[in-house]
Amino acid sequence: MNLNPFWSMSTNTGRKRSDGEEQSGEQQQQQQQRASPARPSFGKKQLPSIPKNAVPVTKPASPAATAQLANGTHASYGPFYLEYSLLAEFTLVIKQKLPGIYVQPSYKSALMWFGVIFIRHGLYQDGVFKFTVYIPDNYPDGECPRVVFDIPVFHPLVDPVSGELDVRRAFTKWRRNHNHIWQVLMYARTVFYKINTMEPLNPEAAVLYDKDVQLFKSKVVDSVKLCNSHLFDQPKMDDPYAISFSSWNPAIHDEAKERMFTHKRRPEDHQKGLQVSGLSWVKPGSTQPFSKDDNPPQS
Amino acid sequence: MVANGNRDGRPGEALVLKGLDPETCMIVFKNHWAQVVKILEKHDPLRSNTSSNMASAVQNYVEHILFLLMEEDAGQAGAMGPILEFVVMENVMERLFLWSLRRQFTDDMKLEQLKMYEMIVGQARQPLLHHKPVLRPLMMLLSSCSGTAGPEVEAELVSLLNQLCCVLAKDQSVLELFFHTSEDQGAANFLIFSLLIPFIHREGLVGQQARDALLLIMSLSAENQRVAQHIAENTYFCPVLATGLSGLYSSLPTKLEVPGEEWHCLHREDWLQMPTLVQFLNSLEFCNAVIQVAHPNIRDQLVSYIYNGFLVPVLAPALHKLTLEEVMTTTAYLDLFVRSVSEPVLLQTFLSFILLHRHENVHILDTLVSRINTPFQLGTVSLALFQTLIGLYCEDVMLQLILRYLIPCNHMMLSQRRVVKERDFYSVSAAKILALTPSCCSPEHSPPPLRQLDSILWSKGTDNSTEETFLEEDGSGYSCVIGSEIYLDVNYLHYLYNARLGISSCTRACQVWSAPYDGEDPPPEEYQPSALEEAGARGRQAQTVNPKRSHPHPRPRPPCPPQTTDPAPTNQLELEWDDSYDAGPVVSPEAAAAESSRPPQLPAAEPPKHIQEMRRTAIMLVKGSYIEESDFQDDVMVYDLVAKKDARDTVDCRRPSRETLPESEESEIDSNLNLEEDHFKESSLQEKDEVPLSNGLSLPLHPTNMEVTKGSKEVKAHVADHNSNLQSPSAEVGDDLMGQYEELIRTLGSDETGTGGSSHVKTVDKEFRNPVVTPMEEDEVDFSSFSVDTPELEKPHSSLFGTKLRSGSTRSHSVPFTGPFVSVLLSRLENMLDNSLHVNLLLTGILAQLAAYPQPLLQSFLLNTNMVFQPSVRSLYQVLASLKNQIEQQASTKKDFPELITSAQHCLLARESSLKDSRECSPPEAGRMMKSSPPPQPKTISLARTEVFATVLFTEFLKELAAIAQEHSILSHVPMEE
Repeated sequence: MNLNPFWSMSTNTGRKRSDGEEQSGEQQQQQQQRASPARPSFGKKQLPSIPKNAVPVTKPASPAATAQLANGTHASYGPFYLEYSLLAEFTLVIKQKLPGIYVQPSYKSALMWFGVIFIRHGLYQDGVFKFTVYIPDNYPDGECPRVVFDIPVFHPLVDPVSGELDVRRAFTKWRRNHNHIWQVLMYARTVFYKINTMEPLNPEAAVLYDKDVQLFKSKVVDSVKLCNSHLFDQPKMDDPYAISFSSWNPAIHDEAKERMFTHKRRPEDHQKGLQVSGLSWVKPGSTQPFSKDDNPPQS
Repeated sequence: MVANGNRDGRPGEALVLKGLDPETCMIVFKNHWAQVVKILEKHDPLRSNTSSNMASAVQNYVEHILFLLMEEDAGQAGAMGPILEFVVMENVMERLFLWSLRRQFTDDMKLEQLKMYEMIVGQARQPLLHHKPVLRPLMMLLSSCSGTAGPEVEAELVSLLNQLCCVLAKDQSVLELFFHTSEDQGAANFLIFSLLIPFIHREGLVGQQARDALLLIMSLSAENQRVAQHIAENTYFCPVLATGLSGLYSSLPTKLEVPGEEWHCLHREDWLQMPTLVQFLNSLEFCNAVIQVAHPNIRDQLVSYIYNGFLVPVLAPALHKLTLEEVMTTTAYLDLFVRSVSEPVLLQTFLSFILLHRHENVHILDTLVSRINTPFQLGTVSLALFQTLIGLYCEDVMLQLILRYLIPCNHMMLSQRRVVKERDFYSVSAAKILALTPSCCSPEHSPPPLRQLDSILWSKGTDNSTEETFLEEDGSGYSCVIGSEIYLDVNYLHYLYNARLGISSCTRACQVWSAPYDGEDPPPEEYQPSALEEAGARGRQAQTVNPKRSHPHPRPRPPCPPQTTDPAPTNQLELEWDDSYDAGPVVSPEAAAAESSRPPQLPAAEPPKHIQEMRRTAIMLVKGSYIEESDFQDDVMVYDLVAKKDARDTVDCRRPSRETLPESEESEIDSNLNLEEDHFKESSLQEKDEVPLSNGLSLPLHPTNMEVTKGSKEVKAHVADHNSNLQSPSAEVGDDLMGQYEELIRTLGSDETGTGGSSHVKTVDKEFRNPVVTPMEEDEVDFSSFSVDTPELEKPHSSLFGTKLRSGSTRSHSVPFTGPFVSVLLSRLENMLDNSLHVNLLLTGILAQLAAYPQPLLQSFLLNTNMVFQPSVRSLYQVLASLKNQIEQQASTKKDFPELITSAQHCLLARESSLKDSRECSPPEAGRMMKSSPPPQPKTISLARTEVFATVLFTEFLKELAAIAQEHSILSHVPMEE
């Protein structure tokens, strides 16, 4: 068993997602994990082994951890709470099945998620934008997570230098239980369909959109082209779970595609062969023990 | 001796024969046979004494003849070979058999013949049994052996029968012949089967062979209706098998010699030392195997006989024997039996006995649950039994033990029902549980040895570089670093890992369950206590009627207790339920008087005559004699009195903490507990006696209360609660209870709002909403709704409603109760500091097992620290919190406490590693870790320092629970198919 708590679970769930929910329209731009460690078999919950080239990041206790002591909890468990909070967020993202958005927590930290967004219509149609989500380490009590595009997309709400999306305008104050990371992802997708030019991070884009849509459109097309031309570049961050793209290679991808489609039928197959260890003789709709009709005689 | 000679000479002979052509063989055969015939005709054993010379001459020839027969290959297209044809035509086998019959048919002769057949049946190259001239003398031989015979003959007979069954299993066409041939002989149909029955329970090789042979026939019966029908209708197979268990059971030791106080269940190494128990388990295992492979008719019959011929008449009284040791022993046996049985149908039989059977009008389950509270080893053994039961992942068990008390959701505040399914996003419950860690055990203060070792391992995994080098900056200037090596309790990772394994396997197992038990399905409204009672009565009725279908000998329904308002049964039941180990009510002299003067008990339900008869014969068959269960009539009472007395003594000296409480507070708690127990008694009484619900008491409903809650479903529920509470047989008792209860609620209610209440309200007010917005392609999402400024539309105001409701008296009449099992477990846990180490290990083990169940009702009750329960409901968290306080108090008064803690940790660690060494089932990484640790030699600590060990265990238990809570927050919300 590996002893690094910070990635094991999340990579597991991440794996499941990228296996099962790939959309066929984006097949030619197959997501692929670089240097990915041995894959655990589908549906089986186990901890993957640590890749050799990766080293968990640690640092001495952060002020945030000690701060939690004041809340009556032990600082030593702070990282576990954080890890599980982020895991919970991640499972929530999976549940939402956000169209065209894929995220995966990084290997090094659960606080950093790699993502990619596919824009399917509108001004930014055919855009494939990679981004990184940075979650504050005092989550969920801190600021809202930040979304930074790998390449600054030409957009009024995206900083033309850093590539950061203005998320805070939608989440002025991040509130636990009320705000969730899937909402941020959803927001990141929405900005490409519904352009807002108020208080822009990229004033040029805002002005163009308001004054000269045609020019704005052509700039957007250029920006989309630029982004897409860098699609196959090495990931910006050296992380085994960073999302990287490779061109379609039938030798690898055909089989993967095949598997994705067969997974859809998997649950029933699974049920048949499943060795059921539980017992029940309760008739559905009843709370009486041994109420099922096919019970053998007793007394 | 023919067979022996043959066996020894065979290899050489075979070699010789291989060289011979069939024609020569035939000539040799005919030649030999002619010689035999000559002797047979000349020396009729009836007229003249056959000399031994003659006999051995015959044997010699026969030996050769049989060889030739055995070695002959079948003819073309399965036709008989010439020798076999000759054997059939000349009736060789029958003539040989008759000849030996005419001589003195001694055991030796039988043995000779049996061996002869065993050899040719087992080794012939062509099917022989298809031919009547071969089969008939065999059947005659078998029936002649069915009487009394020496052990050698028996062994040979069983061996031959086993071989015949093997042939049957391979070639079912012989089956028909077996039936017909025996008919011809006027012998019992299907002789080989009947002959095997007496050997079912035999020990040693003979018994094993017989059981193997019978199993072959059993699997045959699954496909062959005729065999199944014959066995079920014309043989004593099932009754012998089932009641034989009773016989074997009677020879088990009634009192076990327990190796030590720590002992709580029969392990393999224990029962291997007990031949009688081994024999019993062999037979039980055989029943299990029969049920697994046999035709449903046989299966159902056997199961029914096991229930009515063993469990009810033997095991039930044995569970109510006179002394604690005997009862403890029976409980340990029952636990072992349940663990030994694997076939669901048989398991179901045992479980329905445990869950539904009533012995002297008390459910076995209730008795077993109440025994958890005994301070003796019986309590420990009972705990172990429940650990086994809970580990079965059986819905029926969990339903009866806990879930049925949780389904109505009366244990929580009304507003909390929606919280049941809510997800704990930020490990709030885990944090609250871990915050109970006693300061003397805090990981910051005294790192336990296990942690240190782990830490070493941990840093090894991250190379030799200093921590600074791990800090990485990515290009954008955002550093993503979390965690700290220094404070991480790595030991906790193991708990998380185990929790994950436990929860996922439990979740997988529970997929076969009928309902999710999430506070919505089954709907709480339909299972309010009153409704439940009715359903229960109906269900039980159905239970007794239903099985008659395919049962050849239906058991008459147990006599129902008279449904009167006679106070006597109440007293008896009170006695039964008076688990006074934990501050129970003191029995007043009046009550004691009532006990002694109570009318004689109803006679125990007698099994029907034929069962008794059957049992006697079967027992005679197996053992020779068996002492019938004598009068158990007053066992229960005596046992309980003894237990109570002892318990009281223990309580008195064991509960110093109580004395520190102000008197008023104490009495308040006492009344609380009493009341809870009273209700407990009452409800169990209702159930047990199936008191009709149309009891005449009317409920004085205050119109004001009605206004508060008018129209809501809950009102109905409360009224129903109320009514059901008035179902006491005695109106006086009911009124009294009501009065007490009113008062209690008042005191508790004010207390609640004064101190704990405010925090409850706060937690309720916290937003726990999980906005699941379905994703939309149109992107018409209003993000302003995620912002803080938006007015919240669905602020939970129901909590207020709940509070109001409680302060009113409408609700007060139903005492929410989470069931005797939970109540007993928690009260034992409450005494954790006084419990011995192994009791605490069992207790915490069971609770952790329960907590791993994925059903939201159970999960929310055990792990959700934000739930607001009814004031009378004791939650796990409350008990843990009070334990923490006790521990802190101890730690502050004892100087050497930290030192003792360290010693206890080392002691437990050593225990752990010795367990792991002996079992070798530890996960590899744990083993590695243990090996790398030098055996610590700290100051030894006596196990009698229970409070120290309990403190260490308590701390670990908190981690275990927190880990389970954390894993639930992830696992239970990942869609199953993914």
